[in-house]
Amino acid sequence: MAIHFLLILNRQGKTRLVKWFNNTYTTQTKQQYIQEIHRLINSRDSKHQSNFVEFYQNKLVYRRYAGLYFVCLVDLNDSELSYLESLHFLVEILDDYFNNVCEVDLVFNFYKLYFIIDELYLGGEIQQISKSKILNRLAVLDKLD
Amino acid sequence: MKGLTQFITDLRNSKDHDEETKKINLEITNIRDKFKTSLNGYQKKKYVCKLIYVYLLGNTEINDFGLKESFDLLRSSVYSEKQLGYLAVSILLNSKRHKPLKDHMNFVVDTLHSDLVRDLQSTNEEFNCLAIQFIASTFSITGTKAFTVYDTDRNADKWLDLIDMTYAAATSPVQQPIVKRKAAITLKVLLEIYPDVILKNSNWIPRLLKLVDDPDIGTAISSIPLLQLVLHLKPQFAISIVPSISQKLYNIIIEGKCPASYYYYNSPAPWLIVKLFQLMEQLFLLTNKDDNQIISISSLDEQTVTYLRQTVARSIQNASQPIKGIPNRNSQSSILFQAVSLAVFLEASTEAINGAMNALLILLNSNETNTRYLSLDALIKLTARSNSTYLSSKDKFDEILPLMLLLLRDRDISVRRKSLDLLYTICTFSNYTTIISKLLDYFPTADFTLKSELAIKIAHLAEKFATDSTWYVTTMLKLLSIGGGSNSNDSNYMGNEVWERIVQIIVNNEDLQKKTAKLIINLVKRSLNRTPQGKAPAPPLSESLIKVAAFVLGEYGDQVIDIEDLNTANQFQLLYEAYFKVSLITRAMILSTFLKFIVNFPDEPFIPDIVDLFEIETQSIDLEIQTRAYEYLKLVTIEPSFKLAQSVIKKNFPIFNTQKESPLMDRLGSVKEIVGRNRSRSVVLAKNINKIDAINEESENPFESESIALSPNWYAGYHRMLHYDAGIFYEDQLIKITYRVIKEAHNITIKFTVINNSYKTVGTQISGFTVLNLESLTKSQDPNYTLHIKSLPEASIYDKTTMEIEVKVRNIVENNESPVLSMTFMCGGSFNHLNLKIPVLLLKTLAPTVLNNTDEFAKRWTQIGDALGIDKGEHKTRIMLAHRYTSSNVSRLLSRVGFAVVFESPEAPDALIRVAGAGIIHTQKSNYGVLISIAGVDQVGRELEITVRCTGGGLAEIVCSTLSEIFSGKL
Repeated sequence: MAIHFLLILNRQGKTRLVKWFNNTYTTQTKQQYIQEIHRLINSRDSKHQSNFVEFYQNKLVYRRYAGLYFVCLVDLNDSELSYLESLHFLVEILDDYFNNVCEVDLVFNFYKLYFIIDELYLGGEIQQISKSKILNRLAVLDKLD
Repeated sequence: MKGLTQFITDLRNSKDHDEETKKINLEITNIRDKFKTSLNGYQKKKYVCKLIYVYLLGNTEINDFGLKESFDLLRSSVYSEKQLGYLAVSILLNSKRHKPLKDHMNFVVDTLHSDLVRDLQSTNEEFNCLAIQFIASTFSITGTKAFTVYDTDRNADKWLDLIDMTYAAATSPVQQPIVKRKAAITLKVLLEIYPDVILKNSNWIPRLLKLVDDPDIGTAISSIPLLQLVLHLKPQFAISIVPSISQKLYNIIIEGKCPASYYYYNSPAPWLIVKLFQLMEQLFLLTNKDDNQIISISSLDEQTVTYLRQTVARSIQNASQPIKGIPNRNSQSSILFQAVSLAVFLEASTEAINGAMNALLILLNSNETNTRYLSLDALIKLTARSNSTYLSSKDKFDEILPLMLLLLRDRDISVRRKSLDLLYTICTFSNYTTIISKLLDYFPTADFTLKSELAIKIAHLAEKFATDSTWYVTTMLKLLSIGGGSNSNDSNYMGNEVWERIVQIIVNNEDLQKKTAKLIINLVKRSLNRTPQGKAPAPPLSESLIKVAAFVLGEYGDQVIDIEDLNTANQFQLLYEAYFKVSLITRAMILSTFLKFIVNFPDEPFIPDIVDLFEIETQSIDLEIQTRAYEYLKLVTIEPSFKLAQSVIKKNFPIFNTQKESPLMDRLGSVKEIVGRNRSRSVVLAKNINKIDAINEESENPFESESIALSPNWYAGYHRMLHYDAGIFYEDQLIKITYRVIKEAHNITIKFTVINNSYKTVGTQISGFTVLNLESLTKSQDPNYTLHIKSLPEASIYDKTTMEIEVKVRNIVENNESPVLSMTFMCGGSFNHLNLKIPVLLLKTLAPTVLNNTDEFAKRWTQIGDALGIDKGEHKTRIMLAHRYTSSNVSRLLSRVGFAVVFESPEAPDALIRVAGAGIIHTQKSNYGVLISIAGVDQVGRELEITVRCTGGGLAEIVCSTLSEIFSGKL
């Protein structure tokens, strides 16, 4: 019952962040998954279709924010809405941290994204759910040298 | 890092891919050169960062350098350098993965072991965090069981090092919450790949279970995955955690105790609530090796059950009120669906479940796709887990069927899939014909990706419910003809399982064979467009149908040749015509059928055509076809009367040894996972009845391999409870436990009061007080006594708390079967564990019986001797006493344990003690009379002889030994 991976894609299919919590995939599988996911969710219509879709015996939970898709893969019997809101929670953290986040922030601060993710999730599990505590901690870490 | 930003901007401004590649190559060369010079920390960071960026752009082949510099950073004592170093190493090492997963993981452990150990041991908490995060990020396999470490592995000790240190970080009382939280998740990651650590050793579990009680919400949520894993590995500890979970849920949901920083919009800690509900649900799903549930409502104390029910009810209520804003609504709904899913295990009434279902049915009409999807999901779970037939009942089913069919055509495939699963779940004997025929109608329009699932579900339902064999065959052949794939490159919606299963069933049921042969000839005719004019156009030729036809006609075609249209020549013509329209693998099957034709009908005029076909196909480019054709040709030509071929073809096809479970089950898809523990409960129980004997032989005690170490000083309290009905059960500096025993025939209630001693001594509070286990040492099947914790102590003890245990003595209890009460608690940061034995003994059910005089006593005494004989009915023992007894002492003791004293020798100096008493021992099955006579052996009252006579065989010995323990303080 964990997140297998977290993926931020833009609508053109360019990866803005990928964090593989499941370390068993090969490099080919990873590339194949990203392509298939882009094709799959880009073809889905956001108005009339849900934010969940089965994918290789698991399910994708995803949401579009402007030009970016935030996607995670979770177990079939795990809670969809819980992860859907968790994605939103991540977006809010990014928004506060980068002060009105946009795609370019993610590009230039690609390495920082990993440090941010490490405060929210670990090994695919939810680690902290308090927005203020995460933001405070990120501020502390940024000051460390 | 300016240089990095510049580099990225530069790359983004490239006109095309080629220019980008050029720029990258230039920079790579630059970095290579720079790495040869001496760089400061900042420069190293910058170049390593550029390298990672290039790498993440997909240039994964550039991994032959930079690792050394990354390690330099990782070993730096500057936080930002170390942080980036860990990131770089994890990304670059991953690219080196050319080996099998386990070898790669071992390689990473070997490479980083000393660095990780150093940072884990560091006094800098942030360094601890980085090392812990690295472990979690690198080794997590998210439940896939992709590899496992064993004690015998070459570097098992390195893994153990990491596990030990992570465990220490997660449980240390002085550790910061941030480290604890990360360590708890990381420990789960490590134990997932090295489960033997927990399987072979339970010592860690009590301490790990305490993590969920942590007042820090982040620590609590981080500990849940760990607990899920540990309790899955050692389910016998599951019950002890339930009170903590229910208390936590109660605090947040009912009492609203949640720090403001953990609110997500208006919802207090929604993720934690969902996780706790999930954990609770998983605990209810845990089974022991006989597939029996480990936790049920009846095994929990009343307060815990009440709390769970209240939190579920409140969650459902909260979600049904109008909620503003998507985050709030989603949070409340996520809790709602999890609560509904748990409700089934809380023995909700039928009305409550039907009510919930009606509410969910209304949601199916929602405009929001997510809601429709989730409601379907919840309905599937509810129906399957509660064995509810509400949706299958005639009226309800007729009402919802149109809606279900509509949802099968929803715009979202996720919804379509779920509605198929729901139809599958509500299928019963009363509605299977309707459901299956609707699904068959749906088949041609279903999505390509859904078809294979759909076919399997139809096949499985038909097999499960069909009572009429003609219906079964007709339905299945219809399924094959519409869904069996239609082109010769063998792409097929339907797995081979489906037609193979049909063949198995036809072979095993003689009465189906003729019928099938008839039907299939007509179906193949239709598919080959030989339909009479004016009828509906036939579906395209189905591969699976032809496969079954090839088999059935070869084996059973002879049963229908007396019918004119269906004679052998016609059968041959059909297959011959189909031959050229089907895939190679199906052709190979038809070749075998033709060989059977030759053997069965050697005189038919079409036989030369078959031999010709064999001859032509010896030139086939397909190896399988060529081989078969060549072999068959030789079989029928080497020897003129086909004798050789006859010896190859078996006359009667052997019956399939069908497995207990249909192979289709493996292909059911997601619905199987959702259902989890399902409808087959009655079957499971029936299975157990036959096993009882076997179980009795091997003890079911989960602790058998690890005998429980009792806490020091347990004996005083145990001994006191043997003969006093109230007193002190246990005491040390931190805690004091007093007890009161209330006896009522065979029911014994023990009320404990737990008092916080530490408040007086060290001024601290006791927290996380948990009954870890109340381990009955009697056999688990038909136990001699049962235990039930009626009320649990409070987890936090300022002053005192109480708990109540009910014991029911069902049968004769041996003296070595007393249970052990295992408790854990935290006090001033220290973890404490108590294992105390409670005397549950036959003597505890003794009640006085009044005998009028000594004559009556003597009469009964003789009666027992006569009825049972001295060796069965009487037991005698001599005991030495630590101090002097008088007859009145002895008499008081006897009346205290429950005897009515019939005779007591007058107290006089140097007179021998003589006391006699009588009582009745109660068990649920039977009551037994007990007579006792105690006589002094010496004049000073230091040695006694106890004689017990009892109306139950062997009982006297048990009572005697308990009494001697009471007198002498030792067994």
